[in-house]
Amino acid sequence: MKKKDKMTPFIILMLIPGVGFIVFFIGSSISITVLQSLGFFNMMGESGFTLGYWKSILSSREAIDSLLFSLRMGILSSVGTVLVAFPLALFFRKSGPAKGMLGSIIKVPLFIPALVAAFLILNLISYHGLINTTLMRLNIIDEPLRMLNDSFGWGVITIQIWKNLPFVLLILMSAISSIRDDTIDAARNLGAGYWSVLFRIYIPLAMPGILVAMILMFIKAFGDFPITSVAGPVYPSSVANRMQIMANLYQEWNQAAVLGVIIIITTFFVIWAYSRFAELVQGGA
Amino acid sequence: MATLKLTNLVKHFDDVVAVDHIDLEVADGEFVTLLGPSGCGKTTTLRTIAGFYYPDEGEVYFGDRIMNNIPPNKRDTAMCFQSYALFPHMSVWDNISFGLKMRKMPASEQKIKIERVMEMLSLSELGKRKPGQLSGGQQQRVALARSIVTEPEVLLFDEPLSNLDAKLRVQVRVEIREMQKRLGITAIYVTHDQDEALAISDRIVIMEQGRIEQIGDPYTIYRHPETQFVAGFIGLANIFDGVVLEVEGTRCTVQAPFGNVLINAEGQEVPHKGATIHFSWRPEDMKIRDRTSKNQITGNVLQAVFMGDITDLFIEVNGYKMRAQSDDEAKIVAGDSVSFGIAEHAFSILRE
Amino acid sequence: MDKTMAMPLYLIKKRRIKRFYLMITLFFVIIQLLWVGIPIFMAIMWSLVNPDDAWSYPNLIPPSFSLEQWRYVFNYTNIARALKTSYSIAPLAVILSFLLSLPTSYVLGRKDIPGKKVFMLVVLLPMIMPGMVVALFLSRVFNLMGLSQTFLGLVLAHTLMSMPYMIRVMTTSFASIPQDVIDAAENLGAGTFVKIKDIFLPMIRPGLIAGMIFAFTTSIEEFNLTFIIGTPTFETIPTILYSFMGYNFIRTNASVVSLLMMTPNIIMLFIVERFLKSDYLSASLGKM
Ligand SMILES: Nc1ncnc2c1ncn2[C@@H]1O[C@H](COP(=O)(O)OP(=O)(O)OP(=O)(O)O)[C@@H](O)[C@H]1O
Ligand SMILES: [Mg+2]
Repeated sequence: MKKKDKMTPFIILMLIPGVGFIVFFIGSSISITVLQSLGFFNMMGESGFTLGYWKSILSSREAIDSLLFSLRMGILSSVGTVLVAFPLALFFRKSGPAKGMLGSIIKVPLFIPALVAAFLILNLISYHGLINTTLMRLNIIDEPLRMLNDSFGWGVITIQIWKNLPFVLLILMSAISSIRDDTIDAARNLGAGYWSVLFRIYIPLAMPGILVAMILMFIKAFGDFPITSVAGPVYPSSVANRMQIMANLYQEWNQAAVLGVIIIITTFFVIWAYSRFAELVQGGA
Repeated sequence: MATLKLTNLVKHFDDVVAVDHIDLEVADGEFVTLLGPSGCGKTTTLRTIAGFYYPDEGEVYFGDRIMNNIPPNKRDTAMCFQSYALFPHMSVWDNISFGLKMRKMPASEQKIKIERVMEMLSLSELGKRKPGQLSGGQQQRVALARSIVTEPEVLLFDEPLSNLDAKLRVQVRVEIREMQKRLGITAIYVTHDQDEALAISDRIVIMEQGRIEQIGDPYTIYRHPETQFVAGFIGLANIFDGVVLEVEGTRCTVQAPFGNVLINAEGQEVPHKGATIHFSWRPEDMKIRDRTSKNQITGNVLQAVFMGDITDLFIEVNGYKMRAQSDDEAKIVAGDSVSFGIAEHAFSILRE
Repeated sequence: MDKTMAMPLYLIKKRRIKRFYLMITLFFVIIQLLWVGIPIFMAIMWSLVNPDDAWSYPNLIPPSFSLEQWRYVFNYTNIARALKTSYSIAPLAVILSFLLSLPTSYVLGRKDIPGKKVFMLVVLLPMIMPGMVVALFLSRVFNLMGLSQTFLGLVLAHTLMSMPYMIRVMTTSFASIPQDVIDAAENLGAGTFVKIKDIFLPMIRPGLIAGMIFAFTTSIEEFNLTFIIGTPTFETIPTILYSFMGYNFIRTNASVVSLLMMTPNIIMLFIVERFLKSDYLSASLGKM
C-alpha cells in the first residue's frame, strides 16, 4: 500500500497559488451571482433579501424561451456531435495507412477559435453561401434554404458540431482504445455479429467516455454566447445572451444574476447526474 | 460435435511465416495439445481455427465442411482466451449467458444450462459479481463456463492457466479435462508448459517455427522423440551424434564420441550401416550401478544438485558431459566416480 | 507482369484487401478535406476579393483577386492594435499561469493528499463554468478591485482561463515520472536542487511545452471575459472579429481577421502533433 501524504503547511502553501487563485476568482464571482439574484450586494440602490427577481424571470416569456432554446442547443449539439464522432472513433481504433494524416486534419477545428469557426461555417450556410449557391446551380432547389439565423437553431448546431467534433473524437478514441481486442474477439467467438458487438460491447464499454463527451458538449453549447449571437435566431436568444443584455444593456443586474444562477445550477446538475449515472453504468466495480 | 481437420495450413504476417504448412486431424471428442516455444505459431493456429485469421493457404474443416469463408460468429467454436477476455461491464451471469443470447435460446432454457455449468465449476455464488471483483482463478472458471455453456463443436484453449499459481493450475486442468471428457467435446489446447501437456492430452502436437515437429500421445512424445528439437524441448535429454558401425536386425552398434553404444531401434526407423545418426536418451535411463544392461558407462560426477525427490547429476564421460539422476539411497556427491547401465531400448534415433 | 504471375494467390488477395482499406481511408480523407478544407478555403477566397469586381451569385470563386481587403483592414480598423494587445496579453498570461500552476501541479501529481479528486475538479472550474456567467460577475469583482478596463485585469482573467489546461497537463507529466527514477537519484546522492534541475525539469518538459501552448491558444481565443472586462478600452482579435460579425457584418474584413487568428493556432496544432504525445492533448481536454 502506498502511504497517504498528510496536508502539511508546506503542501497547503504549494496549493495556494494554483487552487487558491482559481477558488478566489471563480468563488467570488459565483457568490456575487447568487447574492445578487437574491437582492443582496447591489452595487447601487438598496440591498435586501427578495425573491422578486426570481419571480420576474420565471414569469418572463422571453427568459423561459431563451432557457428552452439553450437547453435544446445543448442537447442536440451534444447528441449530434457524439453521433458523428462515434463511427469515426471506431474507424480510428485500428491504425492503418494514411490514418495519421487523417487524424491531424480532423483535429484542425480543435485549434480554430469558436468565433472563427462560426464565421467559417457561416460562409457555407448563409443565405447566399456556398451550399445554397451550389444547390441552386445544380437546380436542386429554386429558393435558397434558410440555414443561418433560423428559428430552430440548426445553424448553431452545425457550428457546434463542426467546432467540437475533434474534441469529442479525442475523448471517444481514448475510451475505445481501452477496449481490448480480445474482448471483441471473445464476443465474435460467442456468436455476436457486427451489430451485437457494437451495441453490447463497444457502446457499453465506451459509455463512460460517451457520457463525459456529452456532458462537456452540453455545458459548452448550453452556456454559449458568441456562436449563438452570430448564428442563432433573432428570437429567442441564448440564456447567456439574454443575461448579458440584461446586465450590460438594461443594467438589470439582479435579473441577470438569476439567469446566471440558473445556468450554473443546470451545469452542476448535469455534472452531478453524470457522476451518478457513471456509477450506475460501471456498477460497483 | 465434430472432427477437425487442417490441411496444408499457411499464415503469414508480412514476412513472418507464423504457420507453415500444417496438417492435423483431430478426432471427435479428442483432446489435442499444441506445445512449443514462444512464437512458434500456436496462437495463430488456434485463431485461424476460430476464424479470426483467414488462412493464406490451406483449409480448415469441421467435419467435412470447409470453414475458411465462415466468419467467427458463425463457427461453432468456443475459445478460452489467455487473458480470459471477460466482458468487464457484465456480471458473471451475463458473461456466461452471452453466447446463449446470441444463439437466441429461450430464457428458461438458458437458465437451466447456466445454472448447471455454474454448479459444475463452483460459480453458483458469484453470479451477480462483475469480473473485476473475482480472483484470477474464479475469472478463469468464468471464462471456461462461458465457453462450454454453448456446447460448441470445438473448444479452443489458449494457455488458459498461465496466470494461475502452480497448485490451482493443476486443480483446474484436472477440471478442464474431466469436463471435456464428460461432454465429449473436441478440444484444442495451447500451452508451453510441457507438464501440463503431458498430463491432460490424448495427443500432443509439438510445434517449432510454424511447423509440426511431431504428433503423438504423451508417452510416445516423451519416450520416443523423433527430432532433436523434440528431444531437447520435452524433459531433459542427452543428445549425441554417432556413426553406425554394424546393424543386426533392429540392433545397431554406434560409435559415439564418448564410446560405443548398443541401440535397439525396435519400433523406430532402423539406420543403415555407416550412416551418421543423432540419438538421445533420458537422464533417468542411466541406472546407477546397474550391471545387467548392455551399455556400461563410467563417469565422474561434476555436480550433484539435490532436488527433493531426486538428485540431478552432471557427469563427465571421457571428456563429454551428460546428465543423470539418482535417488536418495545412492548418496552420490560431487567427485565420485560412478558406473551406469543404459538399456538398449532406452535410445531414440532422431531426425534433424 | 512477370511478378504478378509468380505471386502466390494469398499475396494477391492480401494486396487487394490492402487496396480496399486504402480506398476507404482515401474516401475519409477526401470527406475530411472537404469538411475542414472548404470552410477555410472560402475564408481565404473572401479575404482576397477585389472590391472593384464584386463576387456574387452564381460565381463559385471570385472573378478576380487582390490584397485590397488586407490593406484595408490594417489601415482603417483597429486590427493592428488588437494584434498587439492579444499578443502581449498571451505571453504574460502564460508565464503567470505557469508560475501559479507549478507548485500546485507538483503537489497534485506527486503527493497522495486527502481530497485530491476534489482539488482536481476545482481546478477545472474555469473550463467547466459557463464563460459568460463568469465574465459578467467577475467583472463585478474586478469593479470592486479597480481592475475593470485595465491591462492587468485582462492578464489576470486570461491567466484564470488558461490555468485548468496548464495544471492538468503538468499534473499528468509530474505524475508520470516513475518514483524509481527519483529514488535512484536520491540514492546516488542528489540534493533538492540537482533533483529539480536534472530530474524534474527535463522529465516534465514535454508537458510544460504542451501546457504553455494550450495556455497560449486559450488566451488568444478568449472572448467572453475580454468582451465584458476589456471592451471598449481594449480590443483583442476575437472581440474585433465579433464586432465585424455583429450588426454591421463585413464579410471580407471578418475573413481577414479570421485568417489572422487561426493561422498561428493551426501551426501550433502541428507542433503539438509532431513533438508531443497525444496523451497531453487528451489530458488537457477531457476525462474529468
Ligand atoms: N498480429 C500479428 N501481426 C504480426 N505478427 C504476428 C501477429 N501475431 C503473431 N505474429 C507473429 O507470428 C509468430 C507466431 O505467433 P504466435 O502468437 O502464433 O506464437 P505463439 O506460439 O502463440 O507464442 P506464445 O507462446 O508466445 O503465445 C510470431 O513470430 C509472432 O511475432
Ligand atoms: Mg500465444
